[in-house]
Amino acid sequence: MKGTQLGEFEELVLLIIGVLYPEAYGLNIRQEIITQTGRKVAIGAVHSALSRLQDKGFVKSELADATHERGGRRKRLFQITASGKRAMEKNHELRNSLFNQISDLALKGLNFGETN
Amino acid sequence: MKDSSSTYQPPKAADRFLRWFCREELLEEVKGDLFEYYLLERKTKSEWRAGISYWFHVLHFLRPFALKRKIQDSNFNIMYKSYFKYAWRNMQKHRTNTLMNLLSLGVGMACFIFIFIYIKGELSYDKFHNDSDRIHRVVIDLFESDGGILPDATTPPALAIALQRELPEIASSTRVFPKWGRKFLIGANEDQQYFEEELIQTDSSFFDVFSFPFIHGEPKTALDAPDKMVLTRSMALKYFGRENVLGETLTIYGSNNQVKRISAVVEDVSEFSHFTFDFLTRLNFNNIDNNWGWWNYYTYVKVNQDTDMRALGGKLLGFYESARPDQERYAPIYTQAITDIHLKSNLKWELSVNGNMDNIYIFGALGVFVLLISCINYLNLTIADSLKRLKEIGVRKVFGAHKKSLISQFLIEALLTIIFAIVIGGVFAEALFRNMGDVLGRNVSMLQVENLQVFLLIGLTGVVFGILAGLYPALHMSSFKVASAVKGIVSKSGRSAKGLRKTLLVIQFSISTIMIVGTLVVFEQLKYVQNSDLGFESEQVLIIENSRRISNQETFKAELERIPAISRASVADGIIGGLNWTMTVGTPNGVLMNYVVTDPDFIDAMGFELLEGRNFDKERPTDAQGGNLIVNKKALSDLGLTMEDVGKPVPMFSNGDSIINGTVLGVIEDFHFTDFKSEIKPFAFVYRTNTKDYSYIKLNSTNIGQTLTQIEEAWNVASNGAPFEYYFLDETYASLHVQEEKLSNILLYLTFLAVFIAFMGMFAIANMTIKDRLKEIAVRKVLGASVTGVSGMITTKFLALVLVANIIALPLSYYLMSEWLSGFAYRTDLGPLIFTLALGSTLLVAWITVGYQSVRAALINPIRNLRQD
Repeated sequence: MKGTQLGEFEELVLLIIGVLYPEAYGLNIRQEIITQTGRKVAIGAVHSALSRLQDKGFVKSELADATHERGGRRKRLFQITASGKRAMEKNHELRNSLFNQISDLALKGLNFGETN
Repeated sequence: MKDSSSTYQPPKAADRFLRWFCREELLEEVKGDLFEYYLLERKTKSEWRAGISYWFHVLHFLRPFALKRKIQDSNFNIMYKSYFKYAWRNMQKHRTNTLMNLLSLGVGMACFIFIFIYIKGELSYDKFHNDSDRIHRVVIDLFESDGGILPDATTPPALAIALQRELPEIASSTRVFPKWGRKFLIGANEDQQYFEEELIQTDSSFFDVFSFPFIHGEPKTALDAPDKMVLTRSMALKYFGRENVLGETLTIYGSNNQVKRISAVVEDVSEFSHFTFDFLTRLNFNNIDNNWGWWNYYTYVKVNQDTDMRALGGKLLGFYESARPDQERYAPIYTQAITDIHLKSNLKWELSVNGNMDNIYIFGALGVFVLLISCINYLNLTIADSLKRLKEIGVRKVFGAHKKSLISQFLIEALLTIIFAIVIGGVFAEALFRNMGDVLGRNVSMLQVENLQVFLLIGLTGVVFGILAGLYPALHMSSFKVASAVKGIVSKSGRSAKGLRKTLLVIQFSISTIMIVGTLVVFEQLKYVQNSDLGFESEQVLIIENSRRISNQETFKAELERIPAISRASVADGIIGGLNWTMTVGTPNGVLMNYVVTDPDFIDAMGFELLEGRNFDKERPTDAQGGNLIVNKKALSDLGLTMEDVGKPVPMFSNGDSIINGTVLGVIEDFHFTDFKSEIKPFAFVYRTNTKDYSYIKLNSTNIGQTLTQIEEAWNVASNGAPFEYYFLDETYASLHVQEEKLSNILLYLTFLAVFIAFMGMFAIANMTIKDRLKEIAVRKVLGASVTGVSGMITTKFLALVLVANIIALPLSYYLMSEWLSGFAYRTDLGPLIFTLALGSTLLVAWITVGYQSVRAALINPIRNLRQD
């Protein structure tokens, strides 16, 4: 199904929204991504991902009250929807199941030089 | 609580930009985030850094999700998309017309691009020097016998030194002493020697005035010692196989070898320089710094910033007068801006063949003409085409199209055509550049970086022309009344369109006719120049350079004359039609006389006929001394002598107070030794027994190849290893008219293209006219008209237009070409033949273009055109 796939960056943003709940909005999501992963992203990139997530129905948002440090502008707070949670879980499960299917041999093969 | 940070404001322009592109509903949160971020940044960074960072993030919002939807799928966009679609459909529907439009526009633009870039090159001569506006050449005109002046580029060696000493405006000055026909045997060692021509001897201040780009070495120290030498990159590669050759030595071989240390390597001299060199060395003549008598140096100066050149000109005259107290009359001394030399200076002894400002104007006008013709063509075809699209326009109007939207539709169609045409034109122009390098005398490509800019500029001009060409049909067609448009009734406006069409055709053909006449006249003049009797037998004369290397020239000549194909051999110190010297003869009123030093065989070898007196005689040693001359008729009369005076001693030279006599031994007929623009001037031959620079060989055989081999054999025996380098005297004369040659070539191409475009236009218009009148033709035929009658009816109208064009163009071209020819002292007649030819050829081609189509239309069975409706 086109449009309901969760991209890598989108998943990251979705997870961070969960971490920051209930105070997740554009700028602090970006800040969190930088501190947690060390990835430098533009504010615009975060907003773009948020807009895609919202289109797919994975997050919902509402405008908060105006605050002084934003020059009187309101911020949009995001939270994860049920389908967003499900998409996250599906991704998580898929990854776990794939990881578990990797045979010991393949993992051992990575241990160069270590013989039985 | 009031936070001090809230007084910080992010860049306003960035905010405005964001508001412009960002969707309304996102704007608040986005601006909020950005503002908050900005405040955070300001805590640690400067205003400037934070501003940059703010801009960076604003620009990062240029993503599809944030852009206003309006730009994506508004009505506006859909309409424009549809315009492109209709334009494309329309182009495909009328393939022939589209193709003609594109071809003629493309060819026109190619000409324009070509000429534009060529002219840009011509205008950019010598601009590569730093402060090129402050560099000037100082020249002094010479007096001629009749009180006239002979503009001359050379100056005495003392001038540059005196100028710098006396005039505070002169920042630096330098002398340039060119090769003067000499060749230098240069080598890194005994095994690797070459004859080099491009060696300039100059002062240490050369690089104070000029700025040729350095690869290795320093301008300040490049020539600061007499044994230093500067060479170009390609010479470094030629002699040493590498670029950095500082400290190496080269030897100039001669009677005493000079070893030169290489102190700098410069880039090869740009083709946009009015003089060129491969080597620079210091002047090493004795006692030249106070010498005012030798006129073979070029003087260049760099003036101080903000020098008033006119005031300096006045000071120069005074300066020259005080510097030359011995002179009775003062020839004008003046400066030429170095950037003007290539196009505006035409003095005796220019350092290279210069361009010609007149030709630049002619080329420029032609470029505009051809572009004009092709734009007119386009306009013509589009208007004609538009009359057929009335129904389409009517339907559009019924569906509610505004005048504005119709105009934009036609403009888009026009611009689309123009853009295609520019692409075609660019490709054509590049092809022209690749094939016409030798016609232009240099290699040009649009792909050179500096020319790409020009191409963009031309693209812009093209678009402007496109809008103009598209605007008329757009305004004209969108103003039709709906009802009449749908019914296909073309009222007054249609008739006015046809009137305009005719006017445009006439303009096109007038321009074409003028260009045809111009080309014919230039070719006639060249033919006249080439076929004129020069006054002696200039054909089949071979000149061998480096003849000074032959130790016994008399033996060599005898050896040559043993070859049966050689009728006479001679030696001389100059080249008639090329390199000769001048001296002042006659007293008290001196005549500036061109002269060449020869041996007694020269007069016979070149076929000069003695009108009076006798030739030089080897048996009379006095002939080779003093002022014994053989002169032309012009020289005799300028000296104030008559045929009676030939053979008698007359006062000829004044040396201080004493007057030295000389004798005119013989008089020959006047002959041409300069280009045909100037009158024949006084010329003299002088006999001396010294070793001379050039061998002249008169051949009497057409088997040149075999004779050359024989001459080379004799040369190799006698020449002490000097290379066998030769040319024919005709070539020297041909090179006197290089500019006219170039003009005629370019003119020929352009005229061909202009005529081609004009006739393509006529073809298309005739095609349309005939299609419009197919029914009428059919009816006429049913009623008994003959094929010739019908086709004649159509053809006559077009021929009449061509006739009108000729009536306008012929007198105009007569005037223009008389003006051009008046620049020549010896010129061809503007006979009626040229004009008849232009008239006849335009009429003939028009008749063929239209006649063919009209006959074909008249031959169609009338039923085929009457059966419908």
